Amino acid sequence: MEEVVGKIWDKWLTRQVSADHPAATVNLCDIRSQLLLFYRAMGGVTAKSIEIAEGQKLKVKRTTLQKVAGSHQKFSLAWQDERSVRLPASLAIFADKDLNEALYFWLVALAAKMPIMTHWLQDNQVATIKLMADYPGLKQSYLKLSRAYLAARPEPDTLSPRDRALEKQIQSALKVPGIVNHLPDGKYQPLPVSLWLYPPLTCLASRPDDKGLEQNNPGQRNLPDIKEIEQRKQVDYVDDERKTDGFMAFQAEALETWTEQVNLDRCQNEDDDNDNLDDIAKDLDIITLSRHRKAKAARIRFDLDLPAAENDDLRLGEGIPLPEWNFKQQRLVENSCFIQTMLADDVKPVPLSQKHQLLSREVSQLFLAIGLNRTRRKAQATGDELDLDAWISEQSRPVKDSSKQNYFIDSRDNFRDVNCLILADLSLSTEGHINNEQKVIDVIRDSLIVFSEALNQLNDEFAIYGFSSVRSQHVRYHILKNFNMRYNDHVRGRISRIEPGYYTRMGAAIRQSSKLLLDRGADNKILLLLTDGRPNDLDQYEGRYGLEDTRQAIIEARQAGLVPYCVTIDQKAHDYLPFLFGHNGFAIVNDATQLPKVLPKIYLNLTKN
Amino acid sequence: MNNTCYYQVQGDEVEIFNYCVEHDLPALIKGPTGCGKTRFVEYMAQELNRPITTISCHDDLTAADLIGRHLISPDGTYWQDGPLTRTVRNGGICYLDEIIEARKDTTVVLHSLTDHRRELHIERTGEVIKAHKDFVLVVSYNPSYQNIMKGLKPSTRQRFVGMSFDYPEAEKEIEILIHESKVDKETASQLVKLASDIRRLTDLDLKAAVSTRLLIYTAKMLSSGCNISKACRHCIIEPLTDEPETVKALEKLVHAYF
Repeated sequence: MEEVVGKIWDKWLTRQVSADHPAATVNLCDIRSQLLLFYRAMGGVTAKSIEIAEGQKLKVKRTTLQKVAGSHQKFSLAWQDERSVRLPASLAIFADKDLNEALYFWLVALAAKMPIMTHWLQDNQVATIKLMADYPGLKQSYLKLSRAYLAARPEPDTLSPRDRALEKQIQSALKVPGIVNHLPDGKYQPLPVSLWLYPPLTCLASRPDDKGLEQNNPGQRNLPDIKEIEQRKQVDYVDDERKTDGFMAFQAEALETWTEQVNLDRCQNEDDDNDNLDDIAKDLDIITLSRHRKAKAARIRFDLDLPAAENDDLRLGEGIPLPEWNFKQQRLVENSCFIQTMLADDVKPVPLSQKHQLLSREVSQLFLAIGLNRTRRKAQATGDELDLDAWISEQSRPVKDSSKQNYFIDSRDNFRDVNCLILADLSLSTEGHINNEQKVIDVIRDSLIVFSEALNQLNDEFAIYGFSSVRSQHVRYHILKNFNMRYNDHVRGRISRIEPGYYTRMGAAIRQSSKLLLDRGADNKILLLLTDGRPNDLDQYEGRYGLEDTRQAIIEARQAGLVPYCVTIDQKAHDYLPFLFGHNGFAIVNDATQLPKVLPKIYLNLTKN
Repeated sequence: MNNTCYYQVQGDEVEIFNYCVEHDLPALIKGPTGCGKTRFVEYMAQELNRPITTISCHDDLTAADLIGRHLISPDGTYWQDGPLTRTVRNGGICYLDEIIEARKDTTVVLHSLTDHRRELHIERTGEVIKAHKDFVLVVSYNPSYQNIMKGLKPSTRQRFVGMSFDYPEAEKEIEILIHESKVDKETASQLVKLASDIRRLTDLDLKAAVSTRLLIYTAKMLSSGCNISKACRHCIIEPLTDEPETVKALEKLVHAYF
């Protein structure tokens, strides 16, 4: 009974304090791809994605009812950092659904025009003015939005004198952008402005030595020297006078209550491989940072143990150093990662199973139907069709040579000068299930076997490699079949034994594969990447670094004359694959179970003359 | 050929082309679709006062289609010149459009025409034709459409003087729109801005960029009173993509301008 009453009370109270219009809700996930395209067209950074913004804490004046309901402490605000544009998961500010949708597009346009924010109040107004001047249609849209939005904001006269001045200024800036340069001091921050972008969460707190700046008033803050930290959490700087070693006293079962001080050395290069405390950080509401540099040894390491050498594949050589692209420096950094070539040398031969035979036969029939490897040769002594041109030509000769009666068209196998290297992503994510029976890795195994059969039939030379990675120093590069090996039961044995594990350092694997392909003599060299997700690794490779490095590796491959092509089963790949492989450089397979059948078809389309 | 062929000069292409003509050098024009390659060749033909023969290349184009073949008449067979042979004999500009679409072995017949010999060998009749003094060979292709199995042989490419075309600069593109469609300057510049935004998506979300040709279509429709959203949808968005999400996003972009 108590529970029922509680629920009703909660529902009623939430409705009282919420000004949203649930019936007009627009969800970000429904229009995300449109927004991303719009953002790019408006000149936004192509490597950025659009993500859901987590709630940000703002210190705003709350009504008694809001306090009772415990609402209006965290707000879904729009902001961006160098990785992505963050937008609220849904918008229901306006009663009109079109307006809510228009607001999403407006925020994205702002993000495109304002890649770096130095001053919250001024930059938003400047960007608004610029957008209104350049885009007459957006101007109309903004005028409508601001009119409706101002009507939804509290009437300044109903507020206390101090808050009134603040709110009045904000409303003026919304009405006529550009006229407000300064916000009055106040205990509270202005109520969230949904039509504007906010600085990255990391910038919301200032450092202790930024004296004279109002810590909680973003409107009054100059933020030119803000230090960017790749975290989505609020950051609070304290001066650790006691120079303790940062021992964390907590009970494991009370993990969600961590707001204690964590010693996290942010003064050194934050790209350092072992500096990842991401998962812990996610559980913290506020990360407290201090400036002292000691206690480097107190890093928390959570490495995935690599298998013992005797249980692992045979390592060939010491590892090959490869460069990586650092997008911040806009240059290739030599010896950034090491490729470890591995070979499963103790596999048992595996004959072609019944299932694979059936699949392969289906694919073969398709090849025959398309007649891919046939070419028509005219004026032949024998053939399937008559060659009328040849006959007329012969008739036109003044002296006829009856010994040569080459009047036929012959269809013959064509010589395909194609070399293909298949690079399969074997990261841990391939352990995921597609349905009750199959995992992703099973489909990859089937696909590799069926595809190998197909390539064998086409007489195209091919190699198959798999890759995964554990940080930059250990990129595992498995030889399943190199160009010189014959496709046989041993190769099938190796394919059957691939197991998922670790992460996806795509750039390194692509660079190594490009090297191998470039040694080949064929005219057409294809690098076919088979994957199920975006590049990632335990270190900074997660996010934009990984994307930019992979993109660079693909550009290098293309410049060297290779044809990189990606086949993925990741349904969200539209967000990043165009950036990596270009619009024509990839295919997304919607039904992963169909991959074995679809892969040869994709290859066929790619190499059809 | 239209006597009043309009072409907005973009850079030094006219100068280079004139040098080619002066020294009997063949020219290769590269550029995306609808950027003015064909118009440029037509314009030069007009400027030089020479006839132009355009051949659109395709997969099945054989050497015989270019050079000629024997045909049957009541009296037996007779030789019929192909378009290339005709131009070589009579002079004029022979323009092979999208040469990359033709098979590599077909384009080899051009070799003897493109070097110092300037002659065409007709194997069937045994004839060797010396090119007319007014003969100019021009080929073009669109680099972005290359199938990986297709491409000009390096030995063929190396026989041409190369010129790269791209969509005109904003100011020039606005002038072109105004000239071709009589649309007002304000609308023309908005259309060009819209196009530059959409061109950012090329290769990322769109296969091909919006061409000047499509902008002219749009401007023409607008000048005769068509609604702007409709004109943009049918002349710009629909020809560029089939994906509903992309269509919607591009419509939003159009609405940001108009």
